[in-house]
Amino acid sequence: MSHPLTSHPLTVDAPGRSPLRITLTVLGALAVVATYAFLIVSQPADVVNGPTAASALVALTGYGLAMVFLFVGILPTLPTTTLALIPVALVLNIVLGQFVGTTLVPIYLDSIGTVLVGFLAGPAAGAATGLLSTLVWSFFNPTVLPFAAGAAAIGALAGLTARLGLVRRFYVLPLAGIVTGLIAALIAAPVAVAVFGGTATGATGAVIAVFRAAGDSLADSVTKGAIISDLSDKLVTFVVAAALAYALPRRSTQRFPFVRKHRVLAGAKSTARGTDGEAAPAA
Amino acid sequence: MTLPQPPGPDRPDDGPAAHGRLNPLTGLVLAGAAVVVCLAWASWAVWLAVLGAALAAASRGRILSRVAAAASVVVVPFALWALAIHGLFFPEGRTVLAELGPARVTTEGLVYAALFVLRTATLVVVMLAFSLWVDVATLRVALVRRGVPAQLGYVLASALGLAAHVSARLVRIREAQEARGLVVRRGIVGRVVAARLQVVPLVLQLVDEAGERATALEARGSSLRGRRTFYVEEPDSRLQRSARWFLAVASLAVVASVVVPAILGIFGSAG
Repeated sequence: MSHPLTSHPLTVDAPGRSPLRITLTVLGALAVVATYAFLIVSQPADVVNGPTAASALVALTGYGLAMVFLFVGILPTLPTTTLALIPVALVLNIVLGQFVGTTLVPIYLDSIGTVLVGFLAGPAAGAATGLLSTLVWSFFNPTVLPFAAGAAAIGALAGLTARLGLVRRFYVLPLAGIVTGLIAALIAAPVAVAVFGGTATGATGAVIAVFRAAGDSLADSVTKGAIISDLSDKLVTFVVAAALAYALPRRSTQRFPFVRKHRVLAGAKSTARGTDGEAAPAA
Repeated sequence: MTLPQPPGPDRPDDGPAAHGRLNPLTGLVLAGAAVVVCLAWASWAVWLAVLGAALAAASRGRILSRVAAAASVVVVPFALWALAIHGLFFPEGRTVLAELGPARVTTEGLVYAALFVLRTATLVVVMLAFSLWVDVATLRVALVRRGVPAQLGYVLASALGLAAHVSARLVRIREAQEARGLVVRRGIVGRVVAARLQVVPLVLQLVDEAGERATALEARGSSLRGRRTFYVEEPDSRLQRSARWFLAVASLAVVASVVVPAILGIFGSAG
């Protein structure tokens, strides 16, 4: 702007993180924690009575509020490069998730796109991608909608993993995937019990049936089933998403300020300018 | 981007042509209210009534066969697994109908599975009836006009548009790889290798396109703040606006009547 010949900028930066937007994001995270706490504390010991009104409605209301807070807090702050990537991530989640969902393997692979955005654009973008992915997928399969908070947590943790430099350290990456899987499972299990009565399809359903056959309570069986599925799923997801990030040309990855600022990917030192055309080593 | 406001297209169409056509937000509020009713009143009679109403609405909107097909893809596997899990393994069940090794078929387990299947089927049909009926472009405009971040509208419309093309792209990539000699070998390793040869080019292509799209969006001022002008007709009427407000307030009241006592009950039992 200081240049006398510059009449008007063609592009503008996305609005920064104002205190209001930070407050909304924190409120969203608090709504997730409070809803989770309610579902855990109010979990009935006896499930024979069937569906109840309170737990499912509290789950959807609490996570719905969290979704609204996080959307308003995060979405307007995302740069256009990240915004344009989010639909791609959603489509990857849906295509890969639907493919694996038809197999009898106890993993979902329905969050590779979300994790990829978390790696390339940071925790906030990852959380927004998780939420949006669930919202868009619910147009085809409405049963995924109650799991929006878990999807947001996966994206945020993937971004945190990249922020901490763990995508550069391949040997730690599976561990980050396992921790993310554990947290995702703990968030998803009470929702699965409250809204769907602990029913899951595919291999996860078979794992739950095995624990029920052994006499475990419904909540314990669903939690164990979710942990078994999510640990292996997120381990594979994190490794595959990292492999995809390394397979991308550097001119694609260096478009993301988060990758440049935090040197997310291993290899030649990232610079803000002039790396077009240099291919990163294929994964 | 602030532009002079044209007399008609930027605002909901309130004229005679709009009557008889539902605003997407009216459909959204109707679906939301039906979901609230299903969750607030845990009764099979309520779920059957809402299911019947949703199917009747889908029939009126001439999308019944599409709703039925899409719902069956979700509900049938859910029902089979619910019967397998709760119908065969329900340790809390007392009335045993049959014993097959470790499996015990109990009345309580079957009733439990049937109730959750009915409620889930109702919720799925209600939400699919809305998503298959709604015109996404009009919904996007209606949401952004009312203050929803424009980014949400872009992502919704872009993702739904992209999803329709990706399977065709995957077919083209697979054909190209087969022309280069790709043979899908038996076993998990062969399948993983074949998947890698198809997924990696797809991801590279999509991410590259996303970068180009970002530049185009920037050049068109997508990140600028201010009012947008839309040239998409959004049917609306005073009756629909009143109905939306009424349903939204009533739904909130119902949610509050269930959620607030539940939360107070937790605090009460803790104290």
